[in-house]
Amino acid sequence: MQYQPTLSRAEMIELATKRYFGSVDAKDLPSTLACFHDDAMMTVQTSFTDHVGKEGIRRMFEDFFGAYETIVHKDFVCTVDEANGRIAASFEAVLTAADGRVTRLFNTNFWRLREGRFQTVHIYMSGENVLV
Amino acid sequence: MDKWQGGGSDQAALPYPFYVDIVTKRYFDGVDNKNLTQVLNCFTSDAVLTEATSNTVHEGRAAISAMFDKLFTDFEKIWHGNFVHVADPQSNAICSQFTVLITPNGGEELRYENCNRFYCKDRLFHRVTVYMSGDNLLQPGDA
Repeated sequence: MQYQPTLSRAEMIELATKRYFGSVDAKDLPSTLACFHDDAMMTVQTSFTDHVGKEGIRRMFEDFFGAYETIVHKDFVCTVDEANGRIAASFEAVLTAADGRVTRLFNTNFWRLREGRFQTVHIYMSGENVLV
Repeated sequence: MDKWQGGGSDQAALPYPFYVDIVTKRYFDGVDNKNLTQVLNCFTSDAVLTEATSNTVHEGRAAISAMFDKLFTDFEKIWHGNFVHVADPQSNAICSQFTVLITPNGGEELRYENCNRFYCKDRLFHRVTVYMSGDNLLQPGDA
């Protein structure tokens, strides 16, 4: 499925790294979910896990936010296909549990955008799936 | 000193089709047809290919050659398709999602849903990162 691109390169990078990951790191669930369409799908491809629709994505994030004391995503390298409304980014995720255990992942996300929000998100993780 | 940085903005942009074509018509066509020369011609001499899910690093064209030689020997059929690309001339990079159908010698066909990140230096792959949805198949060869 090809969607009409509506965001500029800078706007796509802003959406993926600031509005989305900024909200995730702040554990701001409404702002995180505002990045998704109601019928969006989020797939952790390296473990074949699907989170279907905004309610399925909400449930996953509620568990994710509860599982870690702090969540930090950083060192983004963005690849932007402005003409086709797609963006990918590599980054490091540093997840610290309440007991101090730290999980570090070097992941890559692929976002397909429709009308300025996420229609599909594919996540490729360097380690065990933390988005369950 | 080499100031090249993968996905950096200080690189010369090539036409959009170049990125899709080098990935599909040159690189993966070479892999699927076990054409080692065609595959290696896509890489710089000091390219690094990393399999991220197992943190396996193949450093330099000789190591990459040995890895592909082993892959071509161990698997009788290899197919890459169902591509979705994020091609970015401004950063001289392309990230691609795709399906892999691969059959070990005398074994059952395996299906993977993988992605690669390709960061080019001029017109060649300089850093490639592979994520696999199953066990790493890109094992070190006998260099």
